[in-house]
Amino acid sequence: MSVNRWLATGNFFTAYQEEQRTFLTNLDRLIFSIFLLILFTWPIFFPLNRTYMLVVDNILVAVIAVLGLNLVTGFAGLISIGHAAFVGVGAYTIASFSRVLGDSHILLTHFWLILILIGGLFGAIMGAIVGLPSLRLKHLYLAIATLSFQMIFEWAIKFLTFFNQGQTISVGRVMWFTGEIGRENHYLFWYYVTLTLIILLGFGIRNLFKTRYGRALVAVRDNDRAADAMGMHPGLTKVYAFALSGFLAGVAGAVHAFLYKGAGIESFTLHHSITYLAMAIVGGLGTLNGSFWGPTAIQILNLQVEKFSEYASNYLPSAMNLATALRPLTFGLVIVLFLMFEPRGIANWWRIAKSYTKTWPFRY
Amino acid sequence: MKGKDSNSRESNWSRLVTQMVVITLILVIALIGMASLANAGGKVYKIGLSLAITGPTSDAGNPYAKGVEDYFRFVNDTKLLGDDKIECTIKDDQYQTDVTKRNFEDFLDQGIVFYLNYSTGSTLALKKDFDEVEIPVLPASFHAGNVEGSKYIFLPIASYSEQTILLAEYIVKNSKGGKPKVAMFIHPSAFGRGPVSDLEKAVGAGLGIEIVEVVEHGNDLDNTAMLQRLMSKGVQYVLCQTIQSPVATMLKDAARLGVISKTFGEAGKITFLGAHYTGGNDLIDLAGNAAENFFWTTSYTITSEPGAGTDAQLSLAKKYGRDDKAANSHNYANGVMVAQVATEVIRRAKEKGLEITKKALYDELNAMNGDKAYQPPTTVGPVTYSATDRAGVDSLQIYSVQQGKFKKIGTPITSEFIKKIK
Repeated sequence: MSVNRWLATGNFFTAYQEEQRTFLTNLDRLIFSIFLLILFTWPIFFPLNRTYMLVVDNILVAVIAVLGLNLVTGFAGLISIGHAAFVGVGAYTIASFSRVLGDSHILLTHFWLILILIGGLFGAIMGAIVGLPSLRLKHLYLAIATLSFQMIFEWAIKFLTFFNQGQTISVGRVMWFTGEIGRENHYLFWYYVTLTLIILLGFGIRNLFKTRYGRALVAVRDNDRAADAMGMHPGLTKVYAFALSGFLAGVAGAVHAFLYKGAGIESFTLHHSITYLAMAIVGGLGTLNGSFWGPTAIQILNLQVEKFSEYASNYLPSAMNLATALRPLTFGLVIVLFLMFEPRGIANWWRIAKSYTKTWPFRY
Repeated sequence: MKGKDSNSRESNWSRLVTQMVVITLILVIALIGMASLANAGGKVYKIGLSLAITGPTSDAGNPYAKGVEDYFRFVNDTKLLGDDKIECTIKDDQYQTDVTKRNFEDFLDQGIVFYLNYSTGSTLALKKDFDEVEIPVLPASFHAGNVEGSKYIFLPIASYSEQTILLAEYIVKNSKGGKPKVAMFIHPSAFGRGPVSDLEKAVGAGLGIEIVEVVEHGNDLDNTAMLQRLMSKGVQYVLCQTIQSPVATMLKDAARLGVISKTFGEAGKITFLGAHYTGGNDLIDLAGNAAENFFWTTSYTITSEPGAGTDAQLSLAKKYGRDDKAANSHNYANGVMVAQVATEVIRRAKEKGLEITKKALYDELNAMNGDKAYQPPTTVGPVTYSATDRAGVDSLQIYSVQQGKFKKIGTPITSEFIKKIK
């Protein structure tokens, strides 16, 4: 490592620990701190209207969910096509509390943070259960197992009266030290909550990969027989990957329920699972920052396609319903193009951009 | 010399810049002046509509949106509100509640005074938001549950429950023999399931039918097995509460099996009946001859029957260049009607000299009863609302397909049992 930790014009690691640092240079740390400061302060200086604040909140919720998906699919190499169902488990945990206790019960209004963690816990339990087939199954067969969980989840929610047969179960407004979070500040409040959760979870995952538990995930992905020979338990590692992923998805779902003041099955369908997968692929599978790029890119793309198809529906013949096809078509095209031309996702562009800045002021 | 040239160039340049600035300022002032002149005549009232123009159910949403759009254009073009104008923003929600919520927030940011919603799911999900912002809402969904525990949602016409119970009453009145055996064919959602419990309640209150089976359809492309099962159970009538395409699939299968009754209640055959979103010209387009003798109820007039409603609907569609499909759609009439109600409450509030606010329009809707009931040309009865009445048009017309066209059966009627189970 360079003696001057403000400069990084080359890799001069002299110990493995140096390579494991969260921030390789002080400059990295400073830039990240400024970035965080910007994230926390921009809504004060440039307040968005409620519509766009909701869009931003949506992106952040998706970031938490995709962090989970990236753990299981990107880092552990286990394809999950039922991730929206895990998100739904978190959301329906909150909805169940609301259904049983009433939507404005003190537990929901005052202890919502604990409930978010409970949502994550239920997600983790379901993740572990769904991960059990991974003890025997691999690759596409395992993907089908996750797909079946998605189907079972949708069926259960749509048919059980306890879950209001899929219709929205409302969740009341929450309290903060300043009182009830009203309509005006609702989206801003959840922006800060979600952002804080992302930072904590992001650092948690970053640190996880410095431990043997994190490295075990990558080892099992790369070669589970070799990992077995090295003393790891591939089966349990896979189950634990699913549980960890389920936890993050559950947290995302619980935040979603509070953000939308309710949970309905429409937000946790197979279509949403595919969308999460698309976000992970476009962002960059197996990268931490890909989990931030993917949801941002896909949600912004989604908004633009939405506007375009709305505009196009005025001109395209309605009988052919071509405008309806634009969204799935664009989605599919983006995934295919990324898989073909940039399989490492936007995270790779970020890596390249960063490596250019590393050469400044001196090339190495 | 050099210095002189450069001085002259600089002076030319500064003159050019000054001229550009002056011209731009004049243009900006002129534009502002024109814009303020354009608005000088009247006020603009903002309304929002979020619905499925693309995605699931867009076959209904598309003509609905056109109906709303055309009627508000008509209001502005013909100065129905004097110099004041209605600005209705229509946004596509792709039948997704999350998107509807975003659209609704967008409309609120724009300062709407009246909101038009679409699906059952999103209406139920946003119920609390409507109450919080105290905005009157007319959804395209007639689900009875929409108005439960809500002050601000108004159904345009009788609920799905009322429509289904009325059809069941029609079965009882016109069926020969013992207690008619009925099956329900419903959409797998709150939209489809809503009327089931109400019909069961009506049966409990003495409505003389036997509900043999409730079928929740999926995306089945073949209903042969289901129809044969219903036949084996002796089902004589199938009550549908869903959208047109699954009904069309079922009718085509029934026609292939030869089980569709040629007359109402024909022995050994099945008579098919359905609520608002099951019928209309789109059903005939989809099912063809198999739609023959399908019985349908709605509170709207239809263009295959001559009358003032048909004339008004077709002339509006023609004025704004709509194709025949949209012009003849009962969902076009549906969209026109909600736009008419919104316009009417604005007109009434204006007439009283009130400022057009959410509260003023809400109060006007609640006062729309008795001699203040509103009769749009496209409905079969008057629109009435009060603090306890949340369904606009209470009367329903039964139609049936005869020689490829929906024809009226009798005069508009109201359900007896809906009052008993309320």
